[in-house]
Amino acid sequence: MFTRKNYGRFGTAIGGAILLVVLSFAAIGFSQGQPEVAFYADSHAIMTYWDPSLSYSDEVFVMQNMYELLMYYDAKTEEVNPGLARSWDKSDDGLTWTFHLQEGVKFHTGKPVTADSVKRAFERTIEMEGGPSYIWGDPVDHFEAVDDLTLKIFLNYPAALDILASGAYGSYVFDPDVADTDWFNQGNECGSGPYMLESHQGTTEVLLTKFEDYWRGWQGKHFDKVVVKTVEQASTRRLMLESGQADFTDSLPMPDIDALEGNPDVDVVRASSWQNSLALFNTAKSPEHPISNPLVRKALAYALPYKKIIDGIMFGNAVQARGVVPYALWGSSDRVKQYTLSPETAKVLLAAAGYPDGGFSLVATYSSGDSVVRGMGELWKEQLANLGVDLKLQAMPFDSTIAKGQAEDPNDRQDIFFFGWFPDNADPMSFLFSLFAAAEPPVLNMSYYNNPVFEALILQALRVSATNREEAINLYVEAQNMLMEDCAGVGLYDMDILNVKRASLKGYVPNPCYTNVVFWYDCYREE
Amino acid sequence: MVAYLTRRIALAFLVMVGVSIIVFLLARVIPSDPVGRWVGIRAKAEQRERARIELGLDKPLYIQYLSYMNGFVHGNWGTSLYTHQPVLRDIATYLPASLDLIIFGMATALILGIPLGILSAVKNGTIIDHASRVFSLAGIALPTFWLAMVFQLVFFRQLHILPLSGRVSMLTAILNPINHITGSNLLDSLVTGNFAALGSALSHIILPGITLAAAPLGLMARMSRATMLEVLGEDYIRTARAYGISEIRVLIVYALRNAIAPVLTVGALLFAESLVSTFLVESVFTWPGLGFYASNAILTVDYPAIMGVTILISFTYIFLNLIVDITQAFLDPRIRIS
Repeated sequence: MFTRKNYGRFGTAIGGAILLVVLSFAAIGFSQGQPEVAFYADSHAIMTYWDPSLSYSDEVFVMQNMYELLMYYDAKTEEVNPGLARSWDKSDDGLTWTFHLQEGVKFHTGKPVTADSVKRAFERTIEMEGGPSYIWGDPVDHFEAVDDLTLKIFLNYPAALDILASGAYGSYVFDPDVADTDWFNQGNECGSGPYMLESHQGTTEVLLTKFEDYWRGWQGKHFDKVVVKTVEQASTRRLMLESGQADFTDSLPMPDIDALEGNPDVDVVRASSWQNSLALFNTAKSPEHPISNPLVRKALAYALPYKKIIDGIMFGNAVQARGVVPYALWGSSDRVKQYTLSPETAKVLLAAAGYPDGGFSLVATYSSGDSVVRGMGELWKEQLANLGVDLKLQAMPFDSTIAKGQAEDPNDRQDIFFFGWFPDNADPMSFLFSLFAAAEPPVLNMSYYNNPVFEALILQALRVSATNREEAINLYVEAQNMLMEDCAGVGLYDMDILNVKRASLKGYVPNPCYTNVVFWYDCYREE
Repeated sequence: MVAYLTRRIALAFLVMVGVSIIVFLLARVIPSDPVGRWVGIRAKAEQRERARIELGLDKPLYIQYLSYMNGFVHGNWGTSLYTHQPVLRDIATYLPASLDLIIFGMATALILGIPLGILSAVKNGTIIDHASRVFSLAGIALPTFWLAMVFQLVFFRQLHILPLSGRVSMLTAILNPINHITGSNLLDSLVTGNFAALGSALSHIILPGITLAAAPLGLMARMSRATMLEVLGEDYIRTARAYGISEIRVLIVYALRNAIAPVLTVGALLFAESLVSTFLVESVFTWPGLGFYASNAILTVDYPAIMGVTILISFTYIFLNLIVDITQAFLDPRIRIS
């Protein structure tokens, strides 16, 4: 007879049986043929822009696999290699470039990639006037589709169009017939790249699947699918890598990287990068403020413990910066002045400026959560304290540091702005113009440096870089030395790329022009 | 009842308007760079100025607020400066994941916490009571993120019996994708008969669900114990026992029914609060929920998203409080809705 106890036991048995069946189905699901899937654990939100004409952020990890460029920059050889353009040439005056496109290339929409579609895609990017549009908008006068596979680009000045067209942003080729921002934002794409979008989850997860009609074909080993997912927590990313759930991650804290060095299943990929860290000094405060005095700024630069920062904070994964152009990018040179730690020199400079015992304080802002900058700041604070200068470190959300830096009254802005930067393309202008050209209101020139001679130098360098690289380098060196002499800012370090991947992942080649981008078509897994 | 509901709804409306004004002003007072967030920090000055006009930031603050609220009541909750998506669409994307997690966590807390509290009260002063109290306090006191990481190390790394992170396994998402109806992986996979995905979803929710349940479980156990002890000391309980009514019936029908009201109130508030306080759990377990969305919105000072999430949470609090009040009146005839 069924008593209450029997009903309880019967119910428990039924519940357990149901759970067993459900979990069995889960197991059965995995016994089907499995595609080769790669997993990229990204530390940030991914798809903040879907529109290739506006894309200017971390979605580059995905976009560079769904879309293609006319050409690609090889940072090792400093050469530009064919992409959708199989060859190109320019006129003697550098004002006309002719691109010859690859044959048989299709968009994911099924339409062919023609010179006309490339022309209209670039025209759209310029017309959208989004973040990366200036890349084309400044130098280009107009485009002309000569025939289906020949595109001419006419310039306002002899710019290095191969450098611009191979940049990480603003140069995607897409099907202009379907391009619409609302359509893109609903989670659509229309590239010609090896992978197409299969599904996505908000900004945090993207599933790509191989484009069967990709023009380079699928001979050899390739991944069938790629998952790019936001995994915020560093400890989780590390566990995923160690267990093989993830193949690649863009970043891990230095102690985690050090701990993984001895793991045979994991590779730590080190390469030079174009990312650097800078301290920008407010040159626009009122004249009586200490930071307005170049001698004080130089004293600050001589009080920086560069070696301790490299060894203790960066664990040796960086080199001291020389100037503001990273050493791995053309435009850097040993001829650019490099400050060194010299407390005695700093003291002499402070005395010359009228502060023999220091006696003032400075406010330095940085993005909260950035433990590297925090550590650097503390080391610098310690050195400055010996000189009688009180360095106050203010952590705030990144947007708030920008807002403070753009305050209407320069005296309300920070004294020192810690900033990390990497360029839009393989051109030093991205450092020198973006960070030090005068603008009112200020955009990113958080030193508020205003030197027409400096700007004339770098603009001249831009115009000769396409035809005379050596002269451009000389001009960039002269400009950087001017910057160092005025001490509007100081380079702290040029950091190495530090990616962590599974040892079984082959084919990944770090490229500072496309930082943290994995070109999955070139990769495969080898157990 | 109708008059009561009308009054409560009117009050709720006033509260939400007040909350929206405060949050709107706070989001504007905090130094931020909404233009840079919209067009990218590398945009030129002309692009930034165009964006400033496009975002309506050139207008007076009260015009911006009225414009926002006008859009809000018509279903336009603004566009996120960070994701560049409609805020309502973002919330619809991330909310189901949080609801899955919270419902699982709160159900676990209720199912385990209340009986634990009852047991502790019944076995007052014994080793069972002491163990239960230590367990409850541990759940409340231990930091959520620490607990989450320890669970990952123990159950994934050492024992290999539960997944590390995510809502379903990568292979399940590819081979047995869930046909989303509600956005809840558990519900949608069950309704569509996708048992492979259901199994994966169940195994993936265990660790984050238990992590989330730890503090509410401890709290409910403690509260249940306290209220049960108070009720068990009442005369009518002694009378019920004297009449020979079974102990189970005395506990459940006579004692618990009188002791449950404050526990339910706290439970409802915890549910509403969990909508965004789950961000630590969501971050560690890579669970793409509202907490993750809200924390990103705050860090990036994405004020349309902050407004949308705050108003949603306010509404949830108010609604759940109303439900609890009505439920209490139903359970306890002594409470009148007046």
